[in-house]
Amino acid sequence: MNMEEKQKQEVQKEDDKGRFSLAGIITLLLAVVIFSGLMASGKGWSTAFDFVTLSGKFGTMKDATTATFMGAGGSGARAGFLLALSLVPGVMLAMGIVSIVEQTGGLKVAQKLLTPLLRPLMGLPGNVSLALISSLQSTDAGAGMTKDLFDEGLITEKERAIFVQFQFTGCAVINNYLTLGSMVFANILVPISVPLVLVLVLKFFAANVTRFVINKFYTEEA
Amino acid sequence: MKKKNIIEMFVEGARKGWSIAINGLMPNVILAFALIKILEVTGAMAFIGDVFAPVMGVFGLPGQAIMVSVTALMSQGGAVGVLASLLTDGGVDAKQATILLPAIFASGGQLQNLGRVLGTSGVQTKYYGLIFGMSIINGIIALTVMSFVVKAL
Repeated sequence: MNMEEKQKQEVQKEDDKGRFSLAGIITLLLAVVIFSGLMASGKGWSTAFDFVTLSGKFGTMKDATTATFMGAGGSGARAGFLLALSLVPGVMLAMGIVSIVEQTGGLKVAQKLLTPLLRPLMGLPGNVSLALISSLQSTDAGAGMTKDLFDEGLITEKERAIFVQFQFTGCAVINNYLTLGSMVFANILVPISVPLVLVLVLKFFAANVTRFVINKFYTEEA
Repeated sequence: MKKKNIIEMFVEGARKGWSIAINGLMPNVILAFALIKILEVTGAMAFIGDVFAPVMGVFGLPGQAIMVSVTALMSQGGAVGVLASLLTDGGVDAKQATILLPAIFASGGQLQNLGRVLGTSGVQTKYYGLIFGMSIINGIIALTVMSFVVKAL
């Protein structure tokens, strides 16, 4: 009831203002132009404001022996749609495999193996290994667990900064790379593990630069 | 609770994969392809290509590739979408895509990660500049390394 009244009041306030927002006017005008089809017969830049142009076209079967359902020569939203559709099987397969590794305890093994390495590799205590493994899969899970570790006094302020650096660059790289990266996997010239390994190495590199800079130039107290 | 067998584990993950592909990937790809279309028909793409050719040329990339880097600041998915779109219409070739791909993941999505990583973890703000700067440097390193790798192929 209270909420409702508040909302009503707010709506009233908006009405009282009686003004139009500039962004609203512009987007409305643009939408009218785009959907009107007025620009369809235009040439050059004006066709950017035509719905049919933006929708683009599906590719066609130019060479039946090599063509997939995406065809060749497509463009715009339609080509994007078919590309996204072509990725679905790969993403489902990858996530299915990751799910098995996760649920059979494969990640726990990785975590155990990682624990003794954390101090020499990044100057972090072994108890961050679970958060570290999680952060490779989910940006939000990793960041949340890091806050918990600090709040429980398991890591210091400096260690948190080093660990956050590790997460910030190449965030959730395993899941992001396997899903988003699949858009161009068919086109790249190196094994798909190469970019992934490079990003992981860079994560450790960034963490160590931060470790060095913090120890050298920052004082512990805020 | 019943223990899951391996088939159920896979199916559960694959179902998550469907949702990621349809709800996460597809809207990003559609946006990227429409955006590139706008840039192309307005002639902005050719202009961007000319202006940024000297910078991106350092890594063996065409000027248009700057669109991938700029989009990457906001979203990794958007950036790979832009890359895929450029590949489709010949703006970049397979070699150049290979150079660009790791950089997207090494330093992509920083703007949203300011909140999602730095904000959530509660790290002190005095470290923000250092952490942000290092992720940009990582992107540049990734481009450099990959440009040498591709040359050696």
